Amino acid sequence: MDAAVGMIEVEGVAGIIVGADAACKAADVRLLGWASTGGFTTVFLVGGLSSVDAALRSGEEAAGAVVGHVVAAPLTQPEPACRRYITFSVPEDTPVQPGAVGLIETRGYGVHVLASDRMVKAADVAVRNVLTVHNRVVCTLIQGAVGAVREAVAVGRSLVAEDEHFLCSAVIPQPVPDVLRAFACRAGA
Amino acid sequence: MAALMGAVDAMLKTAVVRVCGRHGIGSGWVTVTVEGEVAAVQAAVQAGRPAAERWGELIVAEVIPRPDAGAMAAMPHRAGLPVSEVGRQALGMLEVQGLAPLIAGADAMVKTAAVTLAGWAFIGGALTHLIVRGDVASVETAVAAGRRAAEGVGEVHATLVIPNPEAGIGPLFPPGISGDVAPAGALGVLETTGYVGVVVGGDAILKAASVEILQLRIGSGGRIAALVRGTLDAVQAAIEAGADAARAAGELNSACVISRPDALVMACFGGDAPEMGAPESVGNAMGLIETRSTVALVKAMDQMLKSAEVAYGGSYKVGYFLTASVIRGDVGAVQAALAVGAAEAEKYGELVATHLIPHPLPDLEARLPHGSFEHNER
Repeated sequence: MDAAVGMIEVEGVAGIIVGADAACKAADVRLLGWASTGGFTTVFLVGGLSSVDAALRSGEEAAGAVVGHVVAAPLTQPEPACRRYITFSVPEDTPVQPGAVGLIETRGYGVHVLASDRMVKAADVAVRNVLTVHNRVVCTLIQGAVGAVREAVAVGRSLVAEDEHFLCSAVIPQPVPDVLRAFACRAGA
Repeated sequence: MAALMGAVDAMLKTAVVRVCGRHGIGSGWVTVTVEGEVAAVQAAVQAGRPAAERWGELIVAEVIPRPDAGAMAAMPHRAGLPVSEVGRQALGMLEVQGLAPLIAGADAMVKTAAVTLAGWAFIGGALTHLIVRGDVASVETAVAAGRRAAEGVGEVHATLVIPNPEAGIGPLFPPGISGDVAPAGALGVLETTGYVGVVVGGDAILKAASVEILQLRIGSGGRIAALVRGTLDAVQAAIEAGADAARAAGELNSACVISRPDALVMACFGGDAPEMGAPESVGNAMGLIETRSTVALVKAMDQMLKSAEVAYGGSYKVGYFLTASVIRGDVGAVQAALAVGAAEAEKYGELVATHLIPHPLPDLEARLPHGSFEHNER
Protein backbone atom coordinates (compact mmCIF):
# COMPACT_ATOMS: atom_id res chain seq x y z
CA MET A 1 0.00 0.00 0.00
CA ASP A 2 1.28 3.44 -0.94
CA ALA A 3 0.88 4.82 2.54
CA ALA A 4 4.02 6.49 3.79
CA VAL A 5 5.46 9.86 2.81
CA GLY A 6 9.13 10.76 3.21
CA MET A 7 10.64 14.23 3.38
CA ILE A 8 14.23 15.36 2.82
CA GLU A 9 15.25 18.96 3.45
CA VAL A 10 18.47 20.89 2.75
CA GLU A 11 19.54 24.47 2.31
CA GLY A 12 19.66 25.49 -1.35
CA VAL A 13 18.53 23.25 -4.18
CA ALA A 14 21.50 21.34 -5.70
CA GLY A 15 21.74 19.04 -2.68
CA ILE A 16 18.08 18.21 -2.79
CA ILE A 17 18.19 17.33 -6.51
CA VAL A 18 21.03 14.89 -5.83
CA GLY A 19 19.23 13.57 -2.74
CA ALA A 20 15.91 13.10 -4.54
CA ASP A 21 17.61 11.21 -7.36
CA ALA A 22 19.40 8.87 -4.95
CA ALA A 23 16.21 8.32 -2.96
CA CYS A 24 14.16 7.43 -6.05
CA LYS A 25 16.84 4.95 -7.15
CA ALA A 26 17.21 3.29 -3.74
CA ALA A 27 13.68 1.96 -3.39
CA ASP A 28 10.26 1.79 -4.97
CA VAL A 29 9.14 5.34 -4.23
CA ARG A 30 7.72 8.14 -6.35
CA LEU A 31 8.65 11.81 -6.15
CA LEU A 32 5.50 13.78 -5.23
CA GLY A 33 6.97 17.26 -5.43
CA TRP A 34 8.86 19.87 -3.54
CA ALA A 35 8.47 23.05 -1.51
CA SER A 36 10.72 25.91 -0.54
CA THR A 37 10.64 28.14 2.52
CA GLY A 38 12.81 30.80 0.92
CA GLY A 39 15.98 29.10 2.12
CA PHE A 40 15.40 25.41 2.72
CA THR A 41 14.11 23.14 -0.04
CA THR A 42 12.13 19.99 0.81
CA VAL A 43 11.23 17.05 -1.43
CA PHE A 44 8.31 14.73 -0.72
CA LEU A 45 8.41 11.01 -1.63
CA VAL A 46 5.63 8.47 -1.45
CA GLY A 47 5.73 4.69 -1.22
CA GLY A 48 5.48 1.76 1.15
CA LEU A 49 6.89 2.41 4.61
CA SER A 50 9.96 0.22 4.24
CA SER A 51 10.65 1.63 0.77
CA VAL A 52 10.35 5.20 2.07
CA ASP A 53 12.72 4.39 4.93
CA ALA A 54 15.32 2.96 2.56
CA ALA A 55 14.88 5.88 0.13
CA LEU A 56 15.30 8.43 2.90
CA ARG A 57 18.53 6.81 4.09
CA SER A 58 20.05 6.90 0.59
CA GLY A 59 18.74 10.37 -0.14
CA GLU A 60 20.05 11.75 3.13
CA GLU A 61 23.48 10.27 2.51
CA ALA A 62 23.70 11.50 -1.09
CA ALA A 63 22.47 14.99 -0.24
CA GLY A 64 24.82 15.14 2.73
CA ALA A 65 27.78 14.51 0.44
CA VAL A 66 26.88 17.68 -1.50
CA VAL A 67 25.73 20.02 1.26
CA GLY A 68 26.37 19.93 4.98
CA HIS A 69 23.14 19.67 6.89
CA VAL A 70 20.27 17.37 5.87
CA VAL A 71 17.00 16.66 7.67
CA ALA A 72 14.97 13.60 6.68
CA ALA A 73 11.82 12.20 8.23
CA PRO A 74 9.02 9.82 7.28
CA LEU A 75 5.28 10.25 7.86
CA THR A 76 4.22 6.68 8.51
CA GLN A 77 0.50 7.37 8.19
CA PRO A 78 0.31 10.87 6.74
CA GLU A 79 -2.70 13.08 7.38
CA PRO A 80 -4.14 14.19 3.98
CA ALA A 81 -3.52 17.85 4.90
CA CYS A 82 0.24 17.21 4.89
CA ARG A 83 0.22 17.00 1.11
CA ARG A 84 -0.96 20.60 0.92
CA TYR A 85 2.58 21.69 1.78
CA ILE A 86 3.84 20.53 -1.61
CA THR A 87 3.94 23.69 -3.68
CA PHE A 88 5.43 22.20 -6.82
CA SER A 89 3.84 18.86 -7.72
CA VAL A 90 5.66 16.62 -10.14
CA PRO A 91 3.47 16.13 -13.20
CA GLU A 92 2.89 12.44 -13.87
CA ASP A 93 4.11 10.88 -17.09
CA THR A 94 5.06 14.04 -18.95
CA PRO A 95 7.83 13.20 -21.43
CA VAL A 96 11.33 14.23 -20.38
CA GLN A 97 14.52 14.73 -22.28
CA PRO A 98 16.98 12.03 -21.20
CA GLY A 99 20.58 12.92 -20.43
CA ALA A 100 22.97 13.55 -17.58
CA VAL A 101 22.41 16.53 -15.31
CA GLY A 102 25.06 18.99 -14.13
CA LEU A 103 24.52 21.41 -11.26
CA ILE A 104 26.40 24.50 -10.14
CA GLU A 105 25.23 26.37 -7.06
CA THR A 106 26.46 29.70 -5.72
CA ARG A 107 25.22 32.74 -3.92
CA GLY A 108 24.75 35.42 -6.55
CA TYR A 109 23.33 35.45 -10.06
CA GLY A 110 25.98 37.23 -12.15
CA VAL A 111 28.41 34.32 -12.09
CA HIS A 112 25.67 32.01 -13.39
CA VAL A 113 25.22 34.12 -16.52
CA LEU A 114 28.97 33.93 -17.04
CA ALA A 115 29.25 30.24 -16.18
CA SER A 116 26.28 29.27 -18.37
CA ASP A 117 27.88 31.00 -21.33
CA ARG A 118 31.20 29.21 -20.75
CA MET A 119 29.59 25.81 -20.14
CA VAL A 120 27.52 25.71 -23.34
CA LYS A 121 30.59 26.81 -25.29
CA ALA A 122 32.82 24.21 -23.66
CA ALA A 123 30.69 21.17 -24.47
CA ASP A 124 27.45 20.11 -26.10
CA VAL A 125 25.15 20.86 -23.18
CA ALA A 126 22.02 22.98 -22.75
CA VAL A 127 20.95 25.16 -19.83
CA ARG A 128 17.63 23.66 -18.73
CA ASN A 129 16.81 25.70 -15.66
CA VAL A 130 18.17 28.38 -13.36
CA LEU A 131 16.59 27.84 -9.95
CA THR A 132 16.40 30.67 -7.46
CA VAL A 133 15.25 29.56 -4.03
CA HIS A 134 15.77 33.00 -2.50
CA ASN A 135 18.22 33.87 0.20
CA ARG A 136 20.58 34.56 -2.73
CA VAL A 137 21.11 30.88 -3.61
CA VAL A 138 21.03 30.21 -7.35
CA CYS A 139 21.49 26.83 -9.03
CA THR A 140 22.08 26.33 -12.76
CA LEU A 141 20.98 22.97 -14.18
CA ILE A 142 22.50 21.80 -17.46
CA GLN A 143 21.83 18.64 -19.44
CA GLY A 144 23.65 16.63 -22.09
CA ALA A 145 25.65 13.44 -22.57
CA VAL A 146 27.57 12.35 -19.45
CA GLY A 147 31.02 13.27 -20.77
CA ALA A 148 29.85 16.64 -22.03
CA VAL A 149 28.15 17.44 -18.73
CA ARG A 150 31.25 16.44 -16.74
CA GLU A 151 33.42 18.64 -18.95
CA ALA A 152 31.00 21.58 -18.79
CA VAL A 153 30.65 21.39 -15.01
CA ALA A 154 34.43 21.26 -14.67
CA VAL A 155 34.70 24.41 -16.80
CA GLY A 156 31.91 26.15 -14.90
CA ARG A 157 33.36 25.08 -11.60
CA SER A 158 36.83 26.38 -12.47
CA LEU A 159 35.21 29.72 -13.18
CA VAL A 160 33.22 30.00 -9.96
CA ALA A 161 35.19 27.87 -7.47
CA GLU A 162 37.46 30.80 -6.63
CA ASP A 163 34.40 32.91 -5.93
CA GLU A 164 33.79 33.39 -2.23
CA HIS A 165 30.12 32.70 -2.89
CA PHE A 166 30.59 29.27 -4.49
CA LEU A 167 28.54 26.57 -2.75
CA CYS A 168 28.71 23.27 -4.63
CA SER A 169 28.60 21.44 -7.94
CA ALA A 170 27.42 17.95 -8.88
CA VAL A 171 26.89 15.62 -11.84
CA ILE A 172 24.07 13.07 -11.99
CA PRO A 173 24.99 10.69 -14.85
CA GLN A 174 21.54 9.17 -15.23
CA PRO A 175 18.81 11.06 -13.38
CA VAL A 176 15.42 9.44 -12.80
CA PRO A 177 12.62 10.98 -14.92
CA ASP A 178 10.73 12.31 -11.86
CA VAL A 179 13.74 14.41 -10.87
CA LEU A 180 13.88 15.89 -14.36
CA ARG A 181 10.13 16.56 -14.27
CA ALA A 182 10.52 18.30 -10.93
CA PHE A 183 13.62 20.40 -11.53
CA ALA A 184 14.70 20.45 -15.18
CA CYS A 185 11.76 22.40 -16.62
CA ARG A 186 11.46 26.15 -16.45
CA ALA A 187 8.72 26.32 -13.83
CA GLY A 188 8.36 26.65 -10.12
CA ALA A 189 10.78 28.55 -7.86
CA MET B 1 18.84 49.01 -5.38
CA ALA B 2 20.10 52.59 -4.95
CA ALA B 3 23.62 51.41 -5.80
CA LEU B 4 22.35 49.52 -8.83
CA MET B 5 20.14 52.34 -10.07
CA GLY B 6 23.02 54.81 -9.72
CA ALA B 7 25.43 52.46 -11.48
CA VAL B 8 23.08 51.70 -14.36
CA ASP B 9 22.36 55.40 -14.82
CA ALA B 10 26.13 56.00 -15.04
CA MET B 11 26.48 53.12 -17.53
CA LEU B 12 23.75 54.46 -19.79
CA LYS B 13 25.31 57.93 -19.69
CA THR B 14 28.74 56.54 -20.65
CA ALA B 15 28.00 54.42 -23.70
CA VAL B 16 25.25 53.33 -26.06
CA VAL B 17 23.95 50.24 -24.24
CA ARG B 18 20.50 48.98 -23.47
CA VAL B 19 19.16 47.35 -20.31
CA CYS B 20 18.15 43.83 -21.40
CA GLY B 21 17.44 42.05 -18.13
CA ARG B 22 17.10 42.17 -14.37
CA HIS B 23 16.84 39.45 -11.79
CA GLY B 24 16.54 39.56 -8.01
CA ILE B 25 17.60 36.48 -6.03
CA GLY B 26 16.61 37.51 -2.52
CA SER B 27 18.36 39.29 0.34
CA GLY B 28 18.59 42.40 -1.81
CA TRP B 29 20.91 40.96 -4.45
CA VAL B 30 19.85 42.20 -7.86
CA THR B 31 21.58 41.73 -11.23
CA VAL B 32 21.07 43.95 -14.27
CA THR B 33 22.34 43.06 -17.73
CA VAL B 34 22.99 45.52 -20.55
CA GLU B 35 23.72 44.78 -24.20
CA GLY B 36 25.37 46.67 -27.07
CA GLU B 37 28.61 46.78 -29.07
CA VAL B 38 31.50 45.09 -27.25
CA ALA B 39 33.42 48.35 -26.78
CA ALA B 40 30.30 50.15 -25.57
CA VAL B 41 29.47 47.42 -23.05
CA GLN B 42 33.09 47.42 -21.84
CA ALA B 43 33.02 51.19 -21.36
CA ALA B 44 29.64 50.99 -19.62
CA VAL B 45 30.75 48.26 -17.20
CA GLN B 46 33.92 50.22 -16.47
CA ALA B 47 31.77 53.23 -15.59
CA GLY B 48 29.24 51.23 -13.59
CA ARG B 49 31.81 49.44 -11.46
CA PRO B 50 33.03 52.48 -9.44
CA ALA B 51 29.49 53.81 -9.19
CA ALA B 52 28.35 50.60 -7.45
CA GLU B 53 31.56 50.36 -5.40
CA ARG B 54 30.86 53.77 -3.94
CA TRP B 55 28.01 52.17 -2.01
CA GLY B 56 30.17 49.19 -1.16
CA GLU B 57 27.65 46.91 -2.84
CA LEU B 58 29.34 45.62 -5.97
CA ILE B 59 29.20 41.82 -6.24
CA VAL B 60 30.05 41.07 -9.87
CA ALA B 61 30.71 43.22 -12.96
CA GLU B 62 31.68 41.26 -16.04
CA VAL B 63 31.56 41.54 -19.83
CA ILE B 64 30.61 38.61 -22.06
CA PRO B 65 31.86 39.67 -25.52
CA ARG B 66 29.89 37.10 -27.47
CA PRO B 67 27.13 35.55 -25.36
CA ASP B 68 25.70 32.22 -26.46
CA ALA B 69 22.13 32.86 -27.56
CA GLY B 70 20.83 29.48 -26.40
CA ALA B 71 22.29 29.83 -22.92
CA MET B 72 21.05 33.38 -22.54
CA ALA B 73 17.53 32.43 -23.62
CA ALA B 74 17.40 29.96 -20.73
CA MET B 75 18.39 32.56 -18.12
CA PRO B 76 15.55 34.08 -16.11
CA HIS B 77 16.76 37.68 -16.15
CA ARG B 78 15.25 38.40 -19.57
CA ALA B 79 11.71 37.38 -18.64
CA GLY B 80 9.10 40.00 -17.93
CA LEU B 81 11.22 43.12 -18.10
CA PRO B 82 8.90 45.97 -17.04
CA VAL B 83 8.41 48.93 -19.34
CA SER B 84 8.23 52.20 -17.43
CA GLU B 85 8.12 55.73 -18.72
CA VAL B 86 11.11 57.52 -17.23
CA GLY B 87 10.23 61.15 -18.00
CA ARG B 88 12.48 64.12 -17.51
CA GLN B 89 12.05 64.89 -13.82
CA ALA B 90 14.70 64.29 -11.18
CA LEU B 91 14.50 61.00 -9.32
CA GLY B 92 14.85 60.36 -5.62
CA MET B 93 15.06 56.97 -3.96
CA LEU B 94 14.70 55.88 -0.36
CA GLU B 95 15.79 52.32 0.46
CA VAL B 96 15.06 50.91 3.92
CA GLN B 97 14.70 47.69 5.91
CA GLY B 98 11.03 46.81 6.10
CA LEU B 99 7.75 48.48 5.33
CA ALA B 100 7.05 50.69 8.38
CA PRO B 101 10.08 53.00 7.85
CA LEU B 102 9.25 53.17 4.14
CA ILE B 103 5.72 54.37 4.80
CA ALA B 104 6.89 56.89 7.41
CA GLY B 105 9.55 58.12 4.97
CA ALA B 106 7.08 58.35 2.08
CA ASP B 107 4.68 60.43 4.12
CA ALA B 108 7.46 62.84 5.16
CA MET B 109 8.71 63.10 1.57
CA VAL B 110 5.44 64.11 -0.05
CA LYS B 111 4.64 66.50 2.79
CA THR B 112 8.05 68.22 2.74
CA ALA B 113 8.45 69.09 -0.93
CA ALA B 114 6.56 69.09 -4.22
CA VAL B 115 7.32 65.52 -5.24
CA THR B 116 5.11 62.67 -6.37
CA LEU B 117 5.39 59.06 -5.30
CA ALA B 118 6.12 57.04 -8.42
CA GLY B 119 6.04 53.56 -6.89
CA TRP B 120 7.53 51.20 -4.36
CA ALA B 121 8.62 47.57 -4.22
CA PHE B 122 10.37 44.87 -2.25
CA ILE B 123 13.91 44.28 -3.43
CA GLY B 124 14.50 40.96 -1.72
CA GLY B 125 15.14 40.12 1.87
CA ALA B 126 13.31 42.71 3.91
CA LEU B 127 14.64 45.59 1.80
CA THR B 128 12.09 47.96 0.32
CA HIS B 129 12.48 51.05 -1.80
CA LEU B 130 10.38 53.86 -3.19
CA ILE B 131 10.85 56.45 -5.89
CA VAL B 132 9.78 60.09 -5.89
CA ARG B 133 9.89 62.46 -8.84
CA GLY B 134 10.00 66.27 -9.04
CA ASP B 135 12.45 69.09 -9.69
CA VAL B 136 15.99 68.56 -8.42
CA ALA B 137 15.75 70.77 -5.35
CA SER B 138 12.41 69.33 -4.28
CA VAL B 139 13.64 65.77 -4.70
CA GLU B 140 16.80 66.50 -2.69
CA THR B 141 14.78 68.10 0.09
CA ALA B 142 12.25 65.27 0.10
CA VAL B 143 14.90 62.54 0.20
CA ALA B 144 16.63 64.22 3.16
CA ALA B 145 13.32 64.50 5.00
CA GLY B 146 12.38 60.94 4.11
CA ARG B 147 15.67 59.64 5.46
CA ARG B 148 15.17 61.43 8.78
CA ALA B 149 11.60 60.18 9.16
CA ALA B 150 12.51 56.60 8.23
CA GLU B 151 15.45 56.59 10.64
CA GLY B 152 13.03 57.39 13.43
CA VAL B 153 11.11 54.16 12.73
CA GLY B 154 13.71 51.71 11.43
CA GLU B 155 16.91 51.28 9.49
CA VAL B 156 17.72 53.24 6.33
CA HIS B 157 19.82 51.31 3.83
CA ALA B 158 20.55 54.01 1.22
CA THR B 159 19.24 57.11 -0.48
CA LEU B 160 19.86 58.28 -4.02
CA VAL B 161 19.13 61.39 -6.09
CA ILE B 162 19.57 61.32 -9.87
CA PRO B 163 19.07 64.89 -11.14
CA ASN B 164 18.64 63.87 -14.77
CA PRO B 165 17.85 60.14 -15.08
CA GLU B 166 18.54 58.35 -18.33
CA ALA B 167 15.49 57.22 -20.31
CA GLY B 168 16.84 53.66 -20.39
CA ILE B 169 16.62 52.99 -16.65
CA GLY B 170 12.87 52.36 -16.87
CA PRO B 171 13.23 48.57 -16.47
CA LEU B 172 14.67 49.16 -12.99
CA PHE B 173 11.63 51.07 -11.76
CA PRO B 174 9.19 49.58 -9.27
CA PRO B 175 5.61 49.15 -10.48
CA GLY B 176 3.56 52.35 -10.47
CA ILE B 177 0.79 53.13 -8.05
CA SER B 178 -2.68 51.88 -8.68
CA GLY B 179 -5.66 52.31 -6.46
CA ASP B 180 -7.14 55.45 -5.07
CA VAL B 181 -7.84 55.71 -1.37
CA ALA B 182 -9.29 58.81 0.22
CA PRO B 183 -7.26 59.81 3.26
CA ALA B 184 -9.33 59.18 6.35
CA GLY B 185 -8.03 59.37 9.88
CA ALA B 186 -4.71 57.94 10.93
CA LEU B 187 -2.67 55.06 9.56
CA GLY B 188 -0.95 52.51 11.78
CA VAL B 189 1.72 50.02 10.74
CA LEU B 190 2.79 46.99 12.73
CA GLU B 191 5.61 44.89 11.31
CA THR B 192 6.93 41.59 12.61
CA THR B 193 9.32 38.85 11.57
CA GLY B 194 7.18 35.77 11.13
CA TYR B 195 3.49 35.21 10.57
CA VAL B 196 2.55 34.37 14.16
CA GLY B 197 3.55 37.79 15.48
CA VAL B 198 1.50 39.74 12.98
CA VAL B 199 -1.63 37.61 13.42
CA VAL B 200 -1.46 37.86 17.20
CA GLY B 201 -0.75 41.60 16.86
CA GLY B 202 -3.69 41.98 14.47
CA ASP B 203 -5.97 40.21 16.93
CA ALA B 204 -4.88 42.57 19.73
CA ILE B 205 -5.29 45.59 17.45
CA LEU B 206 -8.91 44.80 16.64
CA LYS B 207 -9.73 44.06 20.26
CA ALA B 208 -8.06 47.22 21.62
CA ALA B 209 -9.86 49.89 19.61
CA SER B 210 -12.31 50.53 16.81
CA VAL B 211 -9.99 50.37 13.81
CA GLU B 212 -10.08 48.71 10.42
CA ILE B 213 -7.34 46.40 9.16
CA LEU B 214 -6.55 47.44 5.60
CA GLN B 215 -3.81 44.97 4.77
CA LEU B 216 -2.30 41.99 6.48
CA ARG B 217 -0.30 40.33 3.80
CA ILE B 218 2.45 42.62 2.59
CA GLY B 219 5.71 40.95 3.42
CA SER B 220 9.05 39.74 2.18
CA GLY B 221 12.26 38.34 3.56
CA GLY B 222 10.63 37.02 6.71
CA ARG B 223 8.77 40.20 7.57
CA ILE B 224 5.08 40.92 7.25
CA ALA B 225 3.09 44.04 8.08
CA ALA B 226 -0.42 44.90 9.22
CA LEU B 227 -1.82 48.26 8.12
CA VAL B 228 -4.72 49.70 10.11
CA ARG B 229 -6.87 52.79 9.72
CA GLY B 230 -9.07 54.70 12.15
CA THR B 231 -9.23 57.84 14.23
CA LEU B 232 -5.89 58.91 15.65
CA ASP B 233 -6.83 57.96 19.22
CA ALA B 234 -8.02 54.54 18.15
CA VAL B 235 -5.00 53.83 15.94
CA GLN B 236 -2.60 54.89 18.68
CA ALA B 237 -4.27 52.61 21.22
CA ALA B 238 -4.54 49.77 18.72
CA ILE B 239 -0.92 49.89 17.59
CA GLU B 240 0.29 50.09 21.18
CA ALA B 241 -1.71 46.98 22.10
CA GLY B 242 -0.71 45.24 18.87
CA ALA B 243 2.97 45.95 19.43
CA ASP B 244 2.84 44.54 22.97
CA ALA B 245 1.05 41.40 21.80
CA ALA B 246 3.34 40.90 18.80
CA ARG B 247 6.44 41.36 20.96
CA ALA B 248 5.19 38.74 23.39
CA ALA B 249 4.21 36.21 20.72
CA GLY B 250 6.90 36.70 18.12
CA GLU B 251 9.47 39.20 16.93
CA LEU B 252 8.34 42.82 16.56
CA ASN B 253 10.33 44.80 13.98
CA SER B 254 8.67 48.17 14.10
CA ALA B 255 5.40 49.93 14.74
CA CYS B 256 4.46 53.44 13.75
CA VAL B 257 1.45 55.71 13.63
CA ILE B 258 1.10 58.29 10.89
CA SER B 259 -1.30 60.81 12.36
CA ARG B 260 -2.53 62.32 9.11
CA PRO B 261 -1.35 60.29 6.12
CA ASP B 262 -1.06 62.04 2.78
CA ALA B 263 -3.51 60.92 0.09
CA LEU B 264 -0.61 59.74 -2.08
CA VAL B 265 0.71 57.58 0.73
CA MET B 266 -2.71 56.02 1.26
CA ALA B 267 -3.01 55.33 -2.47
CA CYS B 268 0.46 53.80 -2.44
CA PHE B 269 0.20 51.55 0.61
CA GLY B 270 -3.32 51.63 2.00
CA GLY B 271 -5.38 50.05 -0.77
CA ASP B 272 -8.00 47.62 0.46
CA ALA B 273 -6.78 44.07 0.50
CA PRO B 274 -9.08 41.58 -1.17
CA GLU B 275 -11.34 39.74 1.25
CA MET B 276 -9.95 36.28 1.81
CA GLY B 277 -13.40 34.72 1.71
CA ALA B 278 -15.45 33.62 4.67
CA PRO B 279 -13.47 31.06 6.65
CA GLU B 280 -15.31 27.85 7.46
CA SER B 281 -14.40 27.72 11.09
CA VAL B 282 -15.47 31.13 12.39
CA GLY B 283 -15.95 31.05 16.13
CA ASN B 284 -13.43 28.29 16.67
CA ALA B 285 -10.16 28.87 18.41
CA MET B 286 -7.11 29.37 16.20
CA GLY B 287 -3.75 27.76 16.78
CA LEU B 288 -0.61 29.02 15.06
CA ILE B 289 2.71 27.26 14.74
CA GLU B 290 5.76 28.60 12.91
CA THR B 291 9.10 26.92 12.17
CA ARG B 292 12.18 27.37 10.04
CA SER B 293 11.81 23.95 8.43
CA THR B 294 9.17 22.35 6.23
CA VAL B 295 9.98 18.90 7.62
CA ALA B 296 9.49 20.13 11.19
CA LEU B 297 6.22 21.86 10.31
CA VAL B 298 4.75 18.92 8.39
CA LYS B 299 5.74 16.46 11.14
CA ALA B 300 4.14 18.80 13.68
CA MET B 301 0.93 19.13 11.62
CA ASP B 302 0.72 15.38 11.18
CA GLN B 303 0.95 14.85 14.93
CA MET B 304 -1.38 17.73 15.82
CA LEU B 305 -4.16 16.48 13.56
CA LYS B 306 -3.81 13.01 15.08
CA SER B 307 -3.60 14.11 18.71
CA ALA B 308 -6.75 16.21 19.06
CA GLU B 309 -10.01 17.16 17.39
CA VAL B 310 -8.54 19.97 15.28
CA ALA B 311 -8.75 20.84 11.58
CA TYR B 312 -6.10 22.16 9.22
CA GLY B 313 -6.73 25.87 8.60
CA GLY B 314 -4.02 26.78 6.10
CA SER B 315 -0.41 27.86 5.83
CA TYR B 316 1.63 30.91 5.08
CA LYS B 317 5.27 31.57 4.25
CA VAL B 318 6.77 34.97 4.86
CA GLY B 319 10.09 33.96 3.31
CA TYR B 320 13.58 33.69 4.71
CA PHE B 321 13.15 30.09 5.96
CA LEU B 322 9.95 30.85 7.89
CA THR B 323 6.84 28.75 7.36
CA ALA B 324 3.66 28.79 9.47
CA SER B 325 0.49 26.73 9.79
CA VAL B 326 -2.92 27.26 11.31
CA ILE B 327 -5.20 24.77 13.04
CA ARG B 328 -8.78 25.30 14.19
CA GLY B 329 -10.93 23.71 16.84
CA ASP B 330 -12.15 24.06 20.42
CA VAL B 331 -9.85 25.96 22.76
CA GLY B 332 -8.86 22.85 24.68
CA ALA B 333 -8.21 20.78 21.57
CA VAL B 334 -6.13 23.50 19.92
CA GLN B 335 -4.13 23.99 23.11
CA ALA B 336 -3.41 20.27 23.41
CA ALA B 337 -2.51 19.99 19.73
CA LEU B 338 -0.12 22.96 19.86
CA ALA B 339 1.78 21.40 22.77
CA VAL B 340 2.15 18.17 20.79
CA GLY B 341 3.11 20.05 17.63
CA ALA B 342 5.74 22.16 19.38
CA ALA B 343 7.41 19.10 20.88
CA GLU B 344 7.40 17.31 17.52
CA ALA B 345 8.72 20.29 15.53
CA GLU B 346 11.66 20.75 17.87
CA LYS B 347 12.89 17.26 17.02
CA TYR B 348 13.40 18.15 13.35
CA GLY B 349 14.16 21.85 13.09
CA GLU B 350 13.87 25.25 14.64
CA LEU B 351 10.54 26.02 16.29
CA VAL B 352 9.92 29.77 16.06
CA ALA B 353 6.60 30.25 17.82
CA THR B 354 3.27 28.72 18.75
CA HIS B 355 0.24 30.70 19.81
CA LEU B 356 -3.38 30.16 20.70
CA ILE B 357 -6.04 32.75 19.87
CA PRO B 358 -9.12 31.50 21.74
CA HIS B 359 -11.57 33.80 19.98
CA PRO B 360 -10.39 35.44 16.76
CA LEU B 361 -12.70 38.15 15.43
CA PRO B 362 -14.32 37.74 11.98
CA ASP B 363 -12.74 41.06 10.89
CA LEU B 364 -9.32 39.54 11.46
CA GLU B 365 -10.16 36.26 9.76
CA ALA B 366 -11.37 38.09 6.67
CA ARG B 367 -7.92 39.63 6.20
CA LEU B 368 -5.71 36.62 6.93
CA PRO B 369 -4.06 35.13 3.86
CA HIS B 370 -3.25 31.62 5.12
CA GLY B 371 -6.48 30.07 3.82
CA SER B 372 -5.44 30.64 0.22
CA PHE B 373 -2.05 29.00 0.70
CA GLU B 374 -1.76 27.84 -2.90
CA HIS B 375 -1.60 31.45 -4.01
CA ASN B 376 1.00 32.83 -1.67
CA GLU B 377 4.00 30.89 -2.91
CA ARG B 378 6.67 33.43 -3.79
